[in-house]
Amino acid sequence: MIQLTVNGQAVEVEAGSTILDAVRKAGFNVPTLCYHPKLVSYGSCRLCLVEVEGARTLQPSCVVPAANGMIVHTDTDKTKSARKFILSMIFSERNHFCMYCQDTDGDCDLQQAAYDEGMTHWPITPAYKPFMVDASHPDIFLDNNRCILCRRCVRACTELVGNATLGFEERGSGSILIADNNVPLGESTCISCGNCVQFCPTGALIDRRSAYQGRETDLTHTNSVCLDCSLGCERVVKTRDNRIVRIDGNMETGFNDSLLCHDGRYKPFTEEHKRITTPMVRRNGQLLPISWDEALAAISAQFKAHDSSEISAHISPRQPIEALDAFHEFFADHFKAGQVALVGHDQTAAASVKLAGEIGAFESDISVLKDCDAAIILGTDLVKDHQVAGFFLKRQAMQNLSMFVAHSAPTGIADWSANKLEYVGSDYPAVVDVLRGFVKGDPDLSAKLQKLGFESEHANKVLGQLKASEKPVFVVGNEFTKPENFAAFRDLVLLAREIGAKVVALKGKANNFAGALLGFEMDTQPKAAPVFYLALGDGHACDHTREALAGSEFKIIQASYDSDFTEIADLVLPCTIWAEQAGHYLSTDGKLGLNQQAIQAADCQRSVLDVLKVLASKSGITLAEAWREAVEDKVATIVLS
Amino acid sequence: MTKPKVASDWLAGCAGCHMSFLDMDERIIELTKLVDLRATPITDLKEPDEEGVDVGILEGGISNTYNEEVAIKMRERCKILVALGDCAVFGGVPAMRNFPGADAALKRAYIETESTDESGVIPNDPELSTPVHVRPVSDIVKVDVFLPGCAPSADSIFYVLSELAQGRMPKVDGEFNKWH
Repeated sequence: MIQLTVNGQAVEVEAGSTILDAVRKAGFNVPTLCYHPKLVSYGSCRLCLVEVEGARTLQPSCVVPAANGMIVHTDTDKTKSARKFILSMIFSERNHFCMYCQDTDGDCDLQQAAYDEGMTHWPITPAYKPFMVDASHPDIFLDNNRCILCRRCVRACTELVGNATLGFEERGSGSILIADNNVPLGESTCISCGNCVQFCPTGALIDRRSAYQGRETDLTHTNSVCLDCSLGCERVVKTRDNRIVRIDGNMETGFNDSLLCHDGRYKPFTEEHKRITTPMVRRNGQLLPISWDEALAAISAQFKAHDSSEISAHISPRQPIEALDAFHEFFADHFKAGQVALVGHDQTAAASVKLAGEIGAFESDISVLKDCDAAIILGTDLVKDHQVAGFFLKRQAMQNLSMFVAHSAPTGIADWSANKLEYVGSDYPAVVDVLRGFVKGDPDLSAKLQKLGFESEHANKVLGQLKASEKPVFVVGNEFTKPENFAAFRDLVLLAREIGAKVVALKGKANNFAGALLGFEMDTQPKAAPVFYLALGDGHACDHTREALAGSEFKIIQASYDSDFTEIADLVLPCTIWAEQAGHYLSTDGKLGLNQQAIQAADCQRSVLDVLKVLASKSGITLAEAWREAVEDKVATIVLS
Repeated sequence: MTKPKVASDWLAGCAGCHMSFLDMDERIIELTKLVDLRATPITDLKEPDEEGVDVGILEGGISNTYNEEVAIKMRERCKILVALGDCAVFGGVPAMRNFPGADAALKRAYIETESTDESGVIPNDPELSTPVHVRPVSDIVKVDVFLPGCAPSADSIFYVLSELAQGRMPKVDGEFNKWH
């Protein structure tokens, strides 16, 4: 521990802490601009200057390590006048007029810093030199005139996302923020995750959709988890007047370090759908509006008219656990419906449940990807799916990460590693056999490597690095975990156990894992039936589901949006979307997240759960709503704590 | 005791700050008990008294030679000068003109406008003042009180004027210091 004095107060900090850490621990504050707790400190803005007794000059507290016996002063005439001078210089460099900026009043760190220093005007007249504006990107607007050269965006893009698209060109006050080798942002290697916008302290990078639609203080913040893939990234849904204005990563909590991918941040804004606003029934070939009472009575009549085995019930994994549990209890436990299944074809969750049943818990928390030195990725494309997991590996790859990737098509993730071996194909048992063979010794290894298309010397080199790694991780996804590869999955996990590797199994969409734990059928094709009940909500379903639906006699759909599914339905129930309902989601590594309700649905739209409750009470069934303990207990048998 | 005299004028601004002044509603009556409102753009008297006023208030930035004259005259005739609003304090919206330059701005406004036919001409008359690089008031005369804001709230204007009327220098801080 290091002991020092800040403003006359003794404080103790851990070795490696900066003066800024000590200042804040002692309960004082110095303003910062380029500093961000989630980024490596850079020390460019100089706003955090403090006086250290004995030091020749003022010291930037965010980068200078705290040392024993230091005597630090934060609020002396010298520091105050330095801060004012620094801010005056920043304001004079570019266009920092607040009155026509999107980021004001709580949104802008620069403005706040000026307020904190009690500045009422600019002592230095601005230079009025125009800088490059880049409006080529559909989501992000880049205005170099508002940039203070803090490079928080560049560091977020590189250190956190691992994409390294943003950088700087030119020097000194002429520096400009550019994408790649100065190409328009919209034509660059930018993956449109928008994290740079969230890290920008001023209005240099702004969100195009939410710009000028309200300051942070005008927006209601609702904590939520993303339900696009199953990583369960924590995010904040920002609303105004019952409308979603913007979605940001949660800076305070969450394994995702505030990161979101494009889908998590922008997808709710980029998809255009027509909402369904009334229950409808098909009469004479046409869907006609009816009342909710009539619609619910029609469903009850169908259930009564058919034997329970003639009902096929399907629900989207985008529904919260509460709805999945009620759905399963209603259709499987009470009704004994012919088929009670989860929409989608990702079988990783089912395979994991089955394998853990045989060999015990084997999965690890997703956070192991943040600190690994070798990654074996089988059957998943981390550039397209579960992107935040891909961010973790990409940034590890900038350190030193050996990678072995097997996928039916080239994935792009391998390109980030200097030591990589990539197999493009689907013979996963052969891939696992090679991995086992290398670790355990296999006389036919060379031939097997050749068969997979690897050049022997290079393959041996990379496999050697993988074998020598200290923190290897195996990441598996839907292509690999298909039933036909189950034995290979088991072999791989057992191999991981032997060599001390962690296993991360990525389980498709939203609540796929919870669905598998609640006992939904996941490895069967959807079957047509006399009554087909599809709780689609705001989700999508595959062609197989549509075929089964089309082949059924009476088709009931709960859906938020008009689609080629509702088109062929006999009864359509308007449904709430994710933001209009609250509920829990189980992440791919078994963390329970809560999606809180952010906006109100119209009266005509009801959630899947609410409708199920009405249907249950009409059938004289009381739903237990007791999923939590069962789910948590089962997670503990699959994911290592 | 005689009431302190207050005069105001507007330069390159939108008059919004004066509207915000009026927005203090019935407190204006309270204020007039404390001060003697002299020349303002919204009263009959248009120039500050030759014998001088105690407080001069300027809204708007300096965008032409006429603004310069008005600002210098106000400075000469007042004891305490208040720069009211973002244009007077920073240059504000008119200062956007500085990025392309006054010539380009005039060309865009008088010749290139979509509704202007080929007879478009930039006004040019000895009677007219000449555009200059847009600056805050403090760039040409000494300013004693800066009250930024676009526009400053009625509360902050009332605070500043009532403090000055009672012989105190206002401290523009917290809720009264807004740059937008």
